[in-house]
Amino acid sequence: MISFIIRRLALSVVLLFIISIISFFIVTLTPGSPYPWGELNPKISAEVKANFRKKFHLDRPLHEQYAFIMRDLFTGSLRSIKDDRPVISRILERLPATVALNLTSIVISLAFGTLLGVTAARYSGHWQDAVGSFIAFLFIALPGFWITYVVVIALVKGFGVPILGTHSYGIDFPNALASGLDTLWHLLLPATILALGGIASQSRYLRATMIESLREDYIRTARSKGLSEDFILYKHALRNSIRPIIAGIGMVLPALIGGAVVIETIFAYPGMGRLGYEAVLERDYPMLVALNFVVAALVLLGNLISDLLSAAVDPRVRLE
Amino acid sequence: MRSIRLFLYGVPAALILLLITAFVNASFLSLAKKNEMSIGTIGEPSTLNPIQQADSASGQVAGFMFNGLLKYNQNLEVVGDLAATWDLSQETTFHFANASDANNAKSVLESLLPNYPSWPITGIKTVTNDLLITLSEPGLVDSQEISTHIYYSGCNPLPFPALEKGDKERPFKAEPIIRFTLRKDVRWHDGAPFTSADVAFTYHAIMDERVASPSSSDFELVSSLETHDPYSVVVRYKKPFSPALLSWMQSILPAHLLEKVEPAKWAEIYNRHPVGTGPFKFGNWKTNEYIRLVKNSDYFRGSPWLDSVVFRVLPDPLTLQLAFQTKQVDFWAVDPWAVQGVENDKRFDLFSSAGNMYNYIGWNLERPMFQDLRVRKALAEAVNIPQMIKYILYGRGVQSTGIFTPKMWFFDPKVEPLPYNPKAAATLLDEAGWKIGPDGIRMKDGKRLSFTLLANNGNDVRRDIATLVQDDLRKIGVEVKVEIYEWSVLLKRFVNKGEFDAIVLGWGLGNDYDQYAIWHSSKTHPEELNFVHYKNPEVDHLLTDLRQEYSRPEILKLTAKLQQTIYADQPYIFLFVPEGTSVMWKNSYRIRRPGSKPGEWIDSPVTMTKAGWNYDMEWFYRPEYPPGGKR
Repeated sequence: MISFIIRRLALSVVLLFIISIISFFIVTLTPGSPYPWGELNPKISAEVKANFRKKFHLDRPLHEQYAFIMRDLFTGSLRSIKDDRPVISRILERLPATVALNLTSIVISLAFGTLLGVTAARYSGHWQDAVGSFIAFLFIALPGFWITYVVVIALVKGFGVPILGTHSYGIDFPNALASGLDTLWHLLLPATILALGGIASQSRYLRATMIESLREDYIRTARSKGLSEDFILYKHALRNSIRPIIAGIGMVLPALIGGAVVIETIFAYPGMGRLGYEAVLERDYPMLVALNFVVAALVLLGNLISDLLSAAVDPRVRLE
Repeated sequence: MRSIRLFLYGVPAALILLLITAFVNASFLSLAKKNEMSIGTIGEPSTLNPIQQADSASGQVAGFMFNGLLKYNQNLEVVGDLAATWDLSQETTFHFANASDANNAKSVLESLLPNYPSWPITGIKTVTNDLLITLSEPGLVDSQEISTHIYYSGCNPLPFPALEKGDKERPFKAEPIIRFTLRKDVRWHDGAPFTSADVAFTYHAIMDERVASPSSSDFELVSSLETHDPYSVVVRYKKPFSPALLSWMQSILPAHLLEKVEPAKWAEIYNRHPVGTGPFKFGNWKTNEYIRLVKNSDYFRGSPWLDSVVFRVLPDPLTLQLAFQTKQVDFWAVDPWAVQGVENDKRFDLFSSAGNMYNYIGWNLERPMFQDLRVRKALAEAVNIPQMIKYILYGRGVQSTGIFTPKMWFFDPKVEPLPYNPKAAATLLDEAGWKIGPDGIRMKDGKRLSFTLLANNGNDVRRDIATLVQDDLRKIGVEVKVEIYEWSVLLKRFVNKGEFDAIVLGWGLGNDYDQYAIWHSSKTHPEELNFVHYKNPEVDHLLTDLRQEYSRPEILKLTAKLQQTIYADQPYIFLFVPEGTSVMWKNSYRIRRPGSKPGEWIDSPVTMTKAGWNYDMEWFYRPEYPPGGKR
């Protein structure tokens, strides 16, 4: 077990190194430049450009630039080209809002996905299942931004409810409860919309495994023992169907800080997705390399955790 | 089992309940109208340090917190801001082989003075071998005249070497001087007095390589900056360059806070919570959410009426519109297609004006087919620009008549736009030898009149222009192939290398008449901006003269000539100038700004001025919080 973890960590370091090289070159070889003043600007002389390139080492050969970025990344002094601030503090200041949004969204999609999946499996072939399937496929098929716009326009035009940012502006809150609920509203709404796709796919996934489980011999045995249908469903079938979900929980780690660009943009929510998206548009190389690095590290760590969890839950899995 | 069931149904039920409670709570909260202005911006400012910023979002926010030495008034005339007064002069130096020659020239010049009262000479003196003449107006014309007279009187001044490539060797050196007298009643937001040391510091910081200021090219011609006392600044230039005056609209930084700190540390200690001299002080900044500024009660022109101004970052245009409609932000810049929807709405005040930007199609003048003026003129006449304005801009724009736009003070309104005339265009092409070929496309010497028109991805206006041009030109037998590329690919592969036939682009330029970088024949190298390779010696002269001309009437003559000459040459098809429209809720703001006399205040509704509807925005007030009322 210990030796497995050590070997995996060593492998991860090598992988991270390779990933960092690939991500650096993809980012820097893309056409475009990080000039904050745009490309065709008659006010900017060649000297100004040269000066700017020098300041951010952009005048050096690519392999040296890579070395600079990696050195600064590990000493924590890597700075964003956009505003000259350390990338680490730019990432950290987005972390609370991002984790709150993603965690809420994951909880919502697990809660509703499980409920819908179980219900669909239970009434498989009945109208409840048909309605559930229809709604699930609808949410999978409809583009997220479209649903978001419809909800946003309906809420704003119909009810005049503030929805942008992390809390309402220009409002004197009567008490702390109102203010707290307001913040919760600004979190729950985007999280719910973000979760819609997850609910849909989660429920389809669970429905399929549940139906499979319900055809197993031990279910027939349980039924013949005269156990109640509820007991069979929740105690036997659900437990055996939910195992893949538990094993997949390792992927939650990168998902927690992963961005939801579209929803963050529409709701003006200050999350990690916009940070990355804007960094791409601005060709903010240090920011992009750092973000890629953090996400890659979390994916690798998440994989390791999910392997360990699978081994813990499923006796058939052995860690070699 | 019960617990599983409880969990399975309980959690979703609880979530739904929570969502409903939060929704009900949010819908019962009522907007408390604070004495605060709320402005929505699409982009997040990068830094609030005015000498390091290049994006418009940063400039807009910093504009409320800083002042320059000079500014535009609402008629786009240059007036003092931190400078109480300023004057321009010039020192012209003649250098001689020895001191007696210099003295000789001095007496010659003095004897000439009564005959030439138009020379703006205010002082003549000799310093060793030099004859120094002080003129009250900078520029080259008078100095050249004086030089000729001195020369013909038998004095032989020694030539000065040319300053840079493209300059002439001259028998004299002309150094413009700007003297600023600063206001004595200005304080920084932290209470420290504003002095000439701040101006000197700002200039040196801009020129400091470590700061990498995008403004540094504006100050390259400064040869010295002296501060003789805390309230005077004397700037001397290497040669006449009139746009340099405008560069003193640059915001001034506080020396006492930044002088002792290395520029690399400014990002931490200053750029995100700056101290300025302006009407509003920095409040707080929540990244990617908002920046709040609070009023500076000690502002040297008087305290603003608003308590605070908040800039909300709303990256999505539709969201911004919704935020305006729910009064979460106070203004909305309307897209052309949406103007009709709000135009006749009595609930809104609309402000429209032609912007500072024009769209064009640039011809690569290195390509033989575009070197014939008749061809360029025919192509321009065959394109139906009024129809473009109608369909692309929904009528919200005017046809462009050259390199300046109607909003600029040096625009020449007498230039007539080329009419849409496909028949005349066809005749012109026939004359030029391009005859209709077997496939309906014109040919000359076995070559078809066919070219590729480039545009960039993600810009719908330019894509639509390309489509309409393709259609219009097909009608007179010209084949256009349209290719769309991502912006940076377009620049890297085609524009910077000069490898294109024709390209749809736009220039958005401020109120600076100096377009040397775009039109001078020396600016055709890779990555330079005369990428169409336009070369006209007359235009080269006009561009150079314009840079050396300080008098407003003379500048107007030169800009008119420049605009006419380039428009006649048609190196671009000058397409149209889109109109910008902004909306606010009716009478939600009025303006009360300081008048020209001390203690005078002028109260008016928000109206369009030459400098825009939002000029003097710091003096906006909400009618429900009237100035002089309970404050």
